[in-house]
Amino acid sequence: MSARKVDDDKRRQHPPARVVRYAAHRRVVGLWSRLSRFDQAVLVVFVVVLATAAIGPFVTPYPPTFADPLQRLVAPNGAHPFGTDENGIDVLSRLIAAPRTDVLIAVIATTLSVAIGAPLGVVAGYFEGADRRAMRWISEGTLRLLDVIQAFPVFILAMVLVAIRGTGPVNVVFAVAFVNFPVFLRLVRSEILSLREHPYAEAAVALGNSELGVGFKHLLPNAWPTVLVQVSVTIGFAVLLTAGLSFVGAGVSPPTPELGSMIASGAKFMIIGQWWVAMFPGLLLGLIVFTFAVMGDIVGKLAEPGQRAIPSRRLLSKDRVAPAAHAEAAAPSAQGAVLSVRGLAIEAVGRPPILDGVSFDLMPGEILGVVGFPGSGKSILVRAIVRLLGDGLQRAGLVLFRGKDLAELDEKALRAIRGYEILPLLPNAKSQLNPLVRVGDLMVAHIRAHDRCSRRKAHARAARMLGAIGIGDAEHWLAAYPHELSGGMAQRVCLAIALVHRPPLIIADEPTAGLDVTVQRQVLDLMIELCHQSGAAQVLATRELGIVAHYCNRVAVLHEGLIVEMGSVRDVLLAPRHAVTRRLIAAADLRAVSAAATTNTSSKIVP
Amino acid sequence: MRTLRYIGRRLLVLVPQLFLISIITFTLVRMLPGDPARLELGPLAPEEGVELLRHQLRLDRPLPQQYIAYLQRLLQGDFGRSWVNSSSVAQDLLVRAPATLELITAGMLIVLAVMVPIALLSASPSCGWLARATRRISFGYGLLAGALPDFWLGLVLIFVFFSVLGWAPGPEGRLAILDLPPERVTGFYVVDTLLAGNFDTFVSALSHLALPAVTLAFVYGGPIFKMVRSSMEAALRSDYTIYAEGLGLPRRTVLLWAMRNAAPPAVVVTGVVAGYLLGGAVLIETVFNLNGIGQYAVQSITTADYAPIQGFVLVAAVFTMMVYLFVDLLLFMIDPRVSARAF
Repeated sequence: MSARKVDDDKRRQHPPARVVRYAAHRRVVGLWSRLSRFDQAVLVVFVVVLATAAIGPFVTPYPPTFADPLQRLVAPNGAHPFGTDENGIDVLSRLIAAPRTDVLIAVIATTLSVAIGAPLGVVAGYFEGADRRAMRWISEGTLRLLDVIQAFPVFILAMVLVAIRGTGPVNVVFAVAFVNFPVFLRLVRSEILSLREHPYAEAAVALGNSELGVGFKHLLPNAWPTVLVQVSVTIGFAVLLTAGLSFVGAGVSPPTPELGSMIASGAKFMIIGQWWVAMFPGLLLGLIVFTFAVMGDIVGKLAEPGQRAIPSRRLLSKDRVAPAAHAEAAAPSAQGAVLSVRGLAIEAVGRPPILDGVSFDLMPGEILGVVGFPGSGKSILVRAIVRLLGDGLQRAGLVLFRGKDLAELDEKALRAIRGYEILPLLPNAKSQLNPLVRVGDLMVAHIRAHDRCSRRKAHARAARMLGAIGIGDAEHWLAAYPHELSGGMAQRVCLAIALVHRPPLIIADEPTAGLDVTVQRQVLDLMIELCHQSGAAQVLATRELGIVAHYCNRVAVLHEGLIVEMGSVRDVLLAPRHAVTRRLIAAADLRAVSAAATTNTSSKIVP
Repeated sequence: MRTLRYIGRRLLVLVPQLFLISIITFTLVRMLPGDPARLELGPLAPEEGVELLRHQLRLDRPLPQQYIAYLQRLLQGDFGRSWVNSSSVAQDLLVRAPATLELITAGMLIVLAVMVPIALLSASPSCGWLARATRRISFGYGLLAGALPDFWLGLVLIFVFFSVLGWAPGPEGRLAILDLPPERVTGFYVVDTLLAGNFDTFVSALSHLALPAVTLAFVYGGPIFKMVRSSMEAALRSDYTIYAEGLGLPRRTVLLWAMRNAAPPAVVVTGVVAGYLLGGAVLIETVFNLNGIGQYAVQSITTADYAPIQGFVLVAAVFTMMVYLFVDLLLFMIDPRVSARAF
C-alpha cells in the first residue's frame, strides 16, 4: 500500500510528459472552441501577420529593395500580382517585407510605454490613496500634467520629437513610446485604485508588506489582463502613427520597406489612376491594425473568467421553439379573478427553465406573497406578468388579466394596460427613476400617458398624490432629481406613481429592497393601507417571510420555477407541508414569522 | 448663481493648464540642438540679425527671464517669424485656421447628422428592417473605423471619386484654381460664398470640402459612434427604462429619456475627438492640400522652421483645453448629478 502511495505522490509531482501534453492540448482546444468563428478567423490572420513580421524579408518573391528600371509602374499581372512601384520594385515583395518595420517599431514602442507608464501608474495610484495630503497632491498634480501633455497634438508632438532627434526607426520608437505612455499610466493607476480596495490587498498590507511593495507585487499582476487588452489596441495605434510619420517623411525613410512611405510614394500615382502602389499597403495597414484591435477584445474575453466568447446575438435569434405548455394551462380561471396565471413557463435557450409552469389566481383586493430562495424565479415571475423581461427569453402559458391574455396583446394595447391597470413596484427605487428626469416630469408623463389632460392639471394631480401619501412640500420634490431623494423617498414616489391611477393590480418585486429597516416598515404599512383603500390586488415577491406573514392574504412558495406550496398565510407558515417552506421558515426570524402569521386573519377577508 | 460659480472654478483650473502649455512649448524649442535665435531666423540669416534677435528674446539672460520674455511676446500676440516665408507666424496661423476649423466642423456635422442617428437606431431593440440594416452597417463600420489610416482613405476616395468617377474635384485645395476666394467674413468658404451670394463658388467650395470631411468623419467618427451605441444600449437595458416601459409611457418618451442618459458619455467622447482633431487631422489636410494650420505645421517640420511649429503646438493645445472646458460646461448643464457633485 505505502509503496503505491509513494508512487502516487511521485506521479502527482511529475506527471508524465504525455499527460502534460494532453492537458495543454485540451486547454488549447478548450480556448479555441470558446471563440466565435469570426474570432477564430482573426486569430489565424493575427498569426499570419506575426509570422510575416518575423520572417517577411526572407520569403519575398523578389528582393524587396531590388529596383528594375525596365519594370516601372507595371500594373498587376502574373509576374507581379500586385504590380510594381515607380522604381520598378515588386509591390508584393515590399508588402511582405514591410510589416516587419511597422510591427516591430510598434511593438517595441508599446513595450517601452508600458515599461514607463505601468510603474508610474502604480506609484500614482499608491500616492493617490495615501494618507498624507502632500502625496495626494503630487498624484493629482501628475494627472493634471498628463491632461496637458495629452492636450498636445499627438501627431505633431511625435513629428517634433523625430525632428529633434533626426529620422530613423530608433527615434520613431521613442516618439511613439512617449506619446503613448500616459495611456498606460492612467490605466494602471485606475486599476490599482480599484484593486487596492480588495481584501487581499489589505491582508497583504496587514501582513507587514509595504504599501508600494504590495502595489507592485500583488496588485500590478492583477491589472495585467486589462493592460494587455490596451497593449493590443495601442500596438495597432502605434502602427498607424509610425506609418503616418513615415507618410510625411518624418519616420522611416525609403529604401527600407515600410507601409507609410509606400503609400506616400504611391500617392501621386493614385490620383492619375495607377492605384496599386498605394492601395495595397493601405489595405495591409488596415488589416494589421484591425487584427491587433480585435485580438485585444479576444484576449479580454478569454482573460475574464466565466465570460463566454460566444456572441449573445445567437441567443437573441427569434427562431426557436417555445417551451412545452403544461396541462394546468387548460384549467379554467376562477370566477372574478383579476389575474389568472396558467402554466406560465419561461426559459432561456439551452438552460434549465426559469419558470416551469406556474399557475395561480388572484382575487380583487387580495395580496399574494411570492416567497422563495434567491434564484427561485420570484422576480422573473413578477416581471413576466407584465412582459418586462426583454428579449432572449421564450415563454409559454397564459397570463389572463381580467380575461385578456397579456401575452397576445400588441404593443399599443399593452402600453395602455401597463402603468394604468397594472403597476410595477420594483426594488431599489432610486435606480428605477431615470437620473436625468425630474420626479415631476416622470409623474406628469405617466399621468398624461393614460389620462388626456393638460400638463398643468397633471402636475396638480401629481402634487395631490404626493400629499396623499404623506409627502409634504410636494412642489419641492416634484422639481427634484432622483439623486436628491433618499431611498425611502424614492420608493414613496414610486408608490405615488403606482397608486395615482387607482389600478386594480400592483406587481411588486422586493419593493423594500435597499431600504432601511425602519423605513421599510413605514413604506410597507403605507403601501398595504393604500392598496386596501383603493382595492388593488397585489402580487408581492419578497424573500422576507416576516413581510408575508404580516401583510399578505395568501402565499405561494416558489422553488426552481415551480410553485411547491400555496395557501393562506396561516396554513402555509404555521403548518408547512413542503420541505422548501420549512427551510425558508427555518432561515427566517421565527418569532417575526409565527407571531405575525398567528395574528394574520386577513385570509378570511377573501372569499 | 451655481452655474456662475462652477464656470469660475473651471476657469481657475484653466489658468495653470495654460501656463503649463506655455512652459512646454517654451522648453520644446530649448530642447532642440542649437541656438533658438538661429533656429528662428534660419540658416541663411546674417550673424548680426541673429545677435539682435538673441538680445530681443533675452537669450543672453537666465532661463526664467527668457520664459517671461516668451510669455510677454505671446500675450502681445507675437508668435515669432517663420524664416521660410519670412512672415509673422500669428498672421500665418490666423489666415490658415479657418480652413482647418471648416474641415473639423464639416466632419463633425457629418458625424452628428449621419453616424449618431445610425448608432442610435442600431442600439434600439426593435426588429424592423431599418434596425436590422443599421445593425449590419454598424457592425461593419465598427470593424473598419479606427483601423483604416486617414491619409490612405483620403487617397482612395480621391482615386474613386476623382480619378475614376470624376464626381469630385481633385486634391487642389479649398477651391478650384480659377475660383476667387470670397470676401472674408467667417473664413469658412462655404459660409462666406453664401453670404456673398456667389452660388457657383459655393458649390465649388462645398465639393472641395466633401471628400476631406467624409474622410475625417469616417475615421474619427468611430469612437463617437461606438460610444453612442454602447451608452444607448446601456440606457435602454437599464432599470429606469424598464420601469418607464412598465409605466406604459409612450415609446417616444422612453427613447428620448434613454437618449438623455446616453448623451453625457457621448458628449465627452465627442469633445475628446474634436479636441484631438485640430492637431490630428493634419494628414487629411496634407492629402487634400487644404492649406490649413496642420499642413502648415507639417511643412514647417520638413523645412525645420521652428517658430511655426511652436506656434501651432501652442494653438492646438490651447484649442484642446478650450474644447475640454466647453465639454465640462456642457456636461454641467445636461447632467444634474455633475452639478451636485461639483459642490
